Amino acid sequence: MNKNLILVLVGIALVVYASVQIASNNTIYYFTTTEATTNLNVGNSERIKLGGFVENDSIEKKMDGITSFFITDGNEKIEINFDGFVPELFQEEMGVILDGFFKDGVFYSDDMLVKHDNEYISENGDTYDVKTYSK
Amino acid sequence: MLYGPLLVWIAIAAFGPYDITQGQYSKLLYVHVPTVWIAYLAYTLTFIYSLLYLIKKNPKYDSLALANAKSGVIFTVSTLIAGSVWGKFTWGTWWVWGDARLNLTAILLLVYLGYLASRSFNNDLEKTAKNSSFIGIFGVIQIPILHFSVIWWRSVHQQASILSQETVSTGDAPMSSDILTTLLISVLLVTLVHIFLSKRFRANADKLWNDYLNPKIRAKI
Repeated sequence: MNKNLILVLVGIALVVYASVQIASNNTIYYFTTTEATTNLNVGNSERIKLGGFVENDSIEKKMDGITSFFITDGNEKIEINFDGFVPELFQEEMGVILDGFFKDGVFYSDDMLVKHDNEYISENGDTYDVKTYSK
Repeated sequence: MLYGPLLVWIAIAAFGPYDITQGQYSKLLYVHVPTVWIAYLAYTLTFIYSLLYLIKKNPKYDSLALANAKSGVIFTVSTLIAGSVWGKFTWGTWWVWGDARLNLTAILLLVYLGYLASRSFNNDLEKTAKNSSFIGIFGVIQIPILHFSVIWWRSVHQQASILSQETVSTGDAPMSSDILTTLLISVLLVTLVHIFLSKRFRANADKLWNDYLNPKIRAKI
């Protein structure tokens, strides 16, 4: 039984170690706009991932399929020049993760993921009143 | 008894309320979330029964561990498929290579597929049960890592709406009441599906044990 217990503990340690390693190394690590403007050391044309929220009234469809807009994390905003597939959910105030590179202060990207938050609001929109346990 | 809850679940998922920003595809919430919760539950039960088997050496516990693992695998596959379709229509992609939550879920599935595969490595059922129990025991540690992965690492996956600290402390989920009710009913129905599924799997496992422990009966056939 003692030998078994050691085996189980070693097994658990291995699984934890492997999971944390895999998650940390492969994580889609995106930079926030503040990180990107203040302390990011990337050369021109070096690809990174950048995340932020689409600014209000900043989306502009240009000719030849390019969409230009600003993203922000609340502190710093960055101009995006996007040339790629725009997901249907893309809109103002939505969180996006963009893959691309900086050139002269503008972020050029051709790959976008829309990040939805954990709020679910139906057409009806009523929420439970937790104080009275009623609608 | 299996098809009743299954059909009602599919019906309320198909006709239930949905998030207006995300549109119709957010109904996948009623598949994606309950199935992964019940997979967590099933693997936790596999952990408990594996431990009990190692301590008491009663075949009953091994059958229960196996039945829960099988059901858990089915629900993990369901949650991956539903999540993938949902991701396609909200994020814009079926799968994000390199996202912590997605990768860890795939690994979770692989570990329990390994558990099921380990059942056929050895003809001696007692040795098999003992070996598999170890996988059943250390596999469970992935669940807390998986659940908190969206908080620990930056992820494209949204954070938990219900099983989150904020919701637990305020008692208020960031969800409309009709969506929340539909979700909780779905969880109940999926629990029923799990109970009936694992009952079936347990009957199969008991039969194998019976054949193993009473070889005379097998000789007659």
